[in-house]
Order: sequence, then C-alpha cells, then structure tokens
Amino acid sequence: MLVLDDVAVRFGGTDALDGIGATVSAGESVALIGPNGAGKSTLLRAILGLVPLARGSIEVLGRPPQEARRSVAYVPQAESLDPEFPVSVAQVVLMGRYRSIGWIRRPGRADRDAAAAALHRVGLSDRADDRFGTLSGGQRQRVLIARAVAQASRLLLLDEPFNGVDAVTQKLLLEVLGELRADGAAVVISTHDLTVAHLACSEACLLNRHQIAYGPVADTLSPPLLQQAYGARALVLAGDEAVVVTPS
Amino acid sequence: MIDQLLVEPFRSPYMQRALIEAVLLGVFGGVLGVYVVLRRLAFISEALTHTVFPGIAVAFLLDASLYLGAFAAGALSAVLLTVLTLNRRVNDDAALAVLLTTFFSVGVVVVSRSTSFTADLTALLFGRILAISTGDIIQTAITMLVVLVVLALMHKELILRAFAPESARAMGYRTDVMDLALNLLITLFVVAAVKAVGTVLVIALVITPAATAQLLGRSIRSMMAISVVVGVLSGWIGLVLSYRASVDHDLRLASGATIVLIMTVLFVVAFAARKLLDLRRTRVGAG
Amino acid sequence: MDWLTEPFGSDLMQRALLEAVLAGALCGAVGVHVVLRRLSFFTMALTHATFPGVVIAALLGVSLFFGTAAFGVVVVLAVVVLSRRRGLDSSTATGVVLAGGFALGVVLISSQQGFTRDVTAFLVGSILTVEPGDVVVTAGATVVVIGLLVVLHKELVLAAFDPAAFEALGYPVVVLDIVLLLAIEITVVTSIPAMGTILAVALIVAPASAARLWTERVGTAMGLASGIGAACGVIGLWVSHRFDVAAGASIALVAAGAFALAWLTTPAIGLLHRLRRGATSDAPLSSEGQPVA
Repeated sequence: MLVLDDVAVRFGGTDALDGIGATVSAGESVALIGPNGAGKSTLLRAILGLVPLARGSIEVLGRPPQEARRSVAYVPQAESLDPEFPVSVAQVVLMGRYRSIGWIRRPGRADRDAAAAALHRVGLSDRADDRFGTLSGGQRQRVLIARAVAQASRLLLLDEPFNGVDAVTQKLLLEVLGELRADGAAVVISTHDLTVAHLACSEACLLNRHQIAYGPVADTLSPPLLQQAYGARALVLAGDEAVVVTPS
Repeated sequence: MIDQLLVEPFRSPYMQRALIEAVLLGVFGGVLGVYVVLRRLAFISEALTHTVFPGIAVAFLLDASLYLGAFAAGALSAVLLTVLTLNRRVNDDAALAVLLTTFFSVGVVVVSRSTSFTADLTALLFGRILAISTGDIIQTAITMLVVLVVLALMHKELILRAFAPESARAMGYRTDVMDLALNLLITLFVVAAVKAVGTVLVIALVITPAATAQLLGRSIRSMMAISVVVGVLSGWIGLVLSYRASVDHDLRLASGATIVLIMTVLFVVAFAARKLLDLRRTRVGAG
Repeated sequence: MDWLTEPFGSDLMQRALLEAVLAGALCGAVGVHVVLRRLSFFTMALTHATFPGVVIAALLGVSLFFGTAAFGVVVVLAVVVLSRRRGLDSSTATGVVLAGGFALGVVLISSQQGFTRDVTAFLVGSILTVEPGDVVVTAGATVVVIGLLVVLHKELVLAAFDPAAFEALGYPVVVLDIVLLLAIEITVVTSIPAMGTILAVALIVAPASAARLWTERVGTAMGLASGIGAACGVIGLWVSHRFDVAAGASIALVAAGAFALAWLTTPAIGLLHRLRRGATSDAPLSSEGQPVA
C-alpha cells in the first residue's frame, strides 16, 4: 500500500525529515509520533506528493505519490476549516466523491447514497442538512472521516484526528477506523497522543526530524525511545510502564 | 549635479513647502506603517482613506475646514470599522469593502450635486502637493507629533497585540480599545496626508515603505529605520523627478503619484534583492 | 405608475438599464466567490491597479476593455507572485500593488493635457454613456463567466471550503485559482465603464454578502446575489435619474442598503433577532462549552 524508502525532505538548506523508512500493508495502521515540529505534517504532505524529496523514494498504492493522490483520502484537522462557510454536512461528505464524479458532471444517485451511508456510519444522519459549522468540534471531525469513507479509498491519511474531540467521538472514530482496516484499508495517523496510538494503531513511526524507530506500537513506544524523541519532556514514571510527555 | 538635484528644484517657495510636507509625511507614514503592516491592517487603512472622502466633500461644499470634515468622517468610520471587525459573524473583509464603498459613494453623490463636479473630484482624489500652504505644513507637523507620541507610549502593547492577540487579551488588555486607538491614529494620518497626495494614494505612504522594510529589516527597530528612509527618500526623489521632467522635458508628471511610484520601485528592488539573497543562501545551505 | 417608468423612457436610459441589470447579475454571482474566499481587497486592488491599462488604451486609441483586461492580467500575476513570499502578508502585497498601479495611471494621465473628464468617468463610472457595443460585451462576459462558475461549481466550492483536501486530492490548485481570478478580472473590467473603478467593488461584494446572510447554500446564494445585483442596478439608476445624482454612486448606495437590510433581518445573525432575544448570552455552544465564534 505504502512504501517509504530512506525519505529525506529539506527546506531552505535544513533537514525537515531524514531517514524515514516504512512499509505499510493492507489492514495496517501506523501512528506518526513525535513532538511539535518533528515533521509529522511534512511527512503526510510528502506521501501526498506535495513536497519534493531530497533523497529516497515513496510509493503509494504501487505508483508515485503524485499519480496516486486522487485515490488517497486525506483528512485535515477540523479546526482548519471556516465554521461560517455555507456548506451542509451532507455536502461535505459528498465532496469525497468529487474525484470519481469528475469535472463538470453533477453528483448522481449512487454518489448521494454512498455519502448518506458514510454519514450513517459516523452516526450523524440526522444532521445531514445542518450547516457544517453548527456542529461541535468532535462532530465536525466525524463528518470529515465520513467524507474519507465516502471516497472509498484504500489509503487514509489523518492529521491529528483526535485533537480536542470528546470521548463519544473518539470511541466512534476508533470503531470506524477498525472497520475500514478490516475491509483492507491502510491508515496513517499523525498524533501526539500515545494512548490513541496504542488504541488505534498496529505500528508506530517515532520521529523527530529523523526517524528514531519504526515497528509494532508496543516496541516502538518504549520509554527509552520516547525519551530519545522528546528529550527532557518525556518523564518516565514507575519503572518501565508509564510515560508522560509534557506539552511543549 | 548636486545643484540640480538638491538646490535648484527647491528655489521656489512652493517646492520648498512641498519638500517639507513630503519629508514630514515620509517620517510619519514610515513609522505608522510598521504597526499597520505588522497588524496586517492594509485593508483597514485602505478603507479609512476612502471613508474620509464624504467628510472632505461636505466640508468643501460648505466652505468649512477640510481638515475638520475629514476628521469627523474618518473618526466615525474608524469607530464603525472597529465595531464591524469585532463582530466575527460578518466576514471582515466583505464588511470593510461595503463600508468603504458606501462612504465613498456618499462623497461622490455630494460632489455630483456641485457644478464644478469634475475639477473638484480630481483635486480631492489626486491631491496637490505643490499647493500645500504653510498652514497645512503646521497642521501636518502637529498631527504627526501627536500620533508619534501616542505610538511611542503604546509601543510595547501594540507589538504584543500584533504578535500574540490571545496573550494580550489573557493579560487583561482591552484589545478592542487598542484597535480603535490604532484605527484613529491611521485616520489622523489620512487626514494629514490627503491634501498632498489625494484619497486613493494615501494608502501607499503607509503600506509601501513599511512593506519594503519588512522585506529587509530584521527587527522592529531596523524596520522603522528602513521604512522612514524609504518614505523620505521617495518624497525627495519623486519631487525632483517631477520637477526635472517638467523643466527639462516639458513633461508634466503629478508629483504625489510620482512619489508613490518611486516607493513602488524601491519595494520591487527590495523584493528582487531579497529573492536573490534567499536563493543564494539556499544554494549554499544545500551545497 | 408614470413617475416610476418615466425615467426609463429614452433609448439612452433603456440601454443604461440593460447594462445595469447585466452588470448587477454578473457581479452578484461572482461576488459570492469573492466573499467566500475573502478576496474583496484583491478585487479592490484589481479595480484600482488596472487604471494604467485604461490610460494606455486611450492614448493608443484601442478599446478600453482590452486595455484594462490586459493590465488586469499583470495585476493578478503581481499579487500572486508577491503573496507567495513567506513573511510578506498577502494583504500588504495587495495594498502595494493597488497603490503602485494606481499611481502609474495617475502619472501617465498627468502627462497628457485635457484628459480629466475621461478620468472622472473611469473613476466613478458613467453608465449613461454606454454604447450598444459595451452592452454586447457585458452580455457576452455575463454568459461566459456565469457559465464557467456553474460548470466548475463543485470544484470551486470544495477549493474554497477545504483547500488542503482539494490539494491532497490532486486537483490542479493553481490552475483553478487562476481561472477564478480571471473570472473576477473579467467581471471587474466589464463593470468599470458603468460603475467606475472605486464603486465596482460595491456591486460585487454587497449583494453577495447580503445573499450569504440569507441562505446557507452556495448555489442559492449565487442566484440570489445575481437577482439582488440586478435589482440594485435598476433601483440605483432610477434614484440617480430622479434625484439627479451620480449613477454609479446611487447603485453602490442601494447595494449597501441591501446589505444593511440583510444584516438587520437575518435569523440568528441579524440585529433584530438579537434584540428580540435580548442581551442574554445565547450564542450556540460548541462541545467544549465555548461560545461558537
């Protein structure tokens, strides 16, 4: 699904990312873990083919990233969207179908049905006609996930999907992501929440400008490695088990 | 050479007055512009330049003081703008455009009732720096002094507000009052400058030197220095250029607009220089 | 009814009326996208900075429409290039382009004798002197631009709402942006002869803002804004004739009136509604318990 081989990205002469290597197969879910400014968003943009690579290669669904873009579902942070924008919830979900509908043509019956089914899956069918901005933060995030579901993509990229969401939404999102993986989709989640990484992901990529570790979640998010990524801000409590990462 | 650039153009008293006014406005706009650019208030400033117009138009028809008319309309619109931009539900940018055109339309309607419509309108829109009187210079100087003193007193708060609005609010500052104060200071500048360069071009005196400084400066202090130098230099070069064109080539160039054009040229040069510097640094860093 | 129809008796007024309706409809539809993308200031810059195009066209004796259109492309490119620089805010870049372009126009014009009358017409519009040719150009532009907006509707809405996802989906972002900016440019250039540089913005932004307050659907807003724009054209023209004031300015004031009306009457946003509900803190709450801003 997704192969990263020794990827490096440079901005204006400094390394933004270096030595990233990973292979994500169908049904797997990878957490990108690292402090603010570690390059998580840059890595997501690199997978979308939106930043040039200084070294290495990326293969998405067997193709170069630029060509694969229309088949990848990208879920931005809900706060990045204008709450006053005049679009309904149903319209936002339908946007996931735009690439398969194509230019000029209008959405058909099948597209509307797919969008309605996706919205049902995140439990917001009753809000279909409301304006997107009238929903709570967690509900907005659910709508954006529904949009990704409607896109029926085999690779999902999520940017901090659990930031500031309520417990109900978190549980629901974890369920939906689990179902998508069971259907054979691969998921990449950037997050700084270690609990979420444990709950939602099978693998983890620990990074801070360069890759510190990649592998199964339990092995990767070990206290010594976390301390390497977060430096003094990772506090190891009571032996090996509990790790607290203080906010930057 | 020096005689042609420095002495000869400024023999006549009207050119001397124009030079003094241009230098004053260069310093005034240069300093104020830094705050405006840091706060990203270019559009608000543009709106304020147009909203003083009906005040000028009415004062002109009633033969009252233009200065007073402009300030009354400007202050009213500064208050309205502050209120409108506090209300997040109406898109700021659209609200500003509506307010700007509304005030301006009122001005045009008022002027269109007058018999000498065209001549009056052009004078108001384009300004006449060569017709500046000693009284105008004194008004500009006093206004500038007042505004600069207020800016100096509010300096650290204005910078905090520009850099971290949330922190400023959290620290208990009344950011709405600060916004209104800055908008009123911009209004004062517009009122002082409008007679020299006209409604439409006042914006350049505030934005362009400060934008040039933003490209080149590394600190607020260096930005201010660059901004003032660009403002004053453009005023002088613009006046000399329009004088020489008229004397040597019999080509009449509007002085106010020439000054603005010089500012724009300096900005473009700074932009290109910055771009080259960045390119070279990237190449050195990558190599 | 005579006092109502009398102003539109002459050929001249009928032509002006047609021009006002067409320009109003065009500006209204495009305006919705201008408002959604917060491009009002950019539009303003476009109207001012195309000024040199008019002067050059008049000096060379070619069509004003062509002159402004050509110069408008330069302005679009200048703003795009300048705002792409990190550390230079796009509104600052817009301001610099606006003033610089306008100054160039003023300098050019000041070097010519006896040009003042044309300048005034350009600045505040002169709808009463539109030629049949102008009306045809406006009609053509209206059909082309509105057609373009309808055909690209869903992509334009997605790009405005969620630019990050739009880019991630592999759409040609820059191409679509340029198409929209050119549509705005065509609109500005077509409405300048009628409305003038400074007031064309009013007819683009005010009806669209009013429509946006009244409806939550982009498509509906475009239809509504077109209608409001056309109505503003008719009413403004009538007011102008009746009270003998400048036509462009009357149309702009009527458009501002429409916006004020929308602002006062909109459910949940309007002033009347808020007054009726009283000054209690009744803003809807988000899940985090913060009032939704």
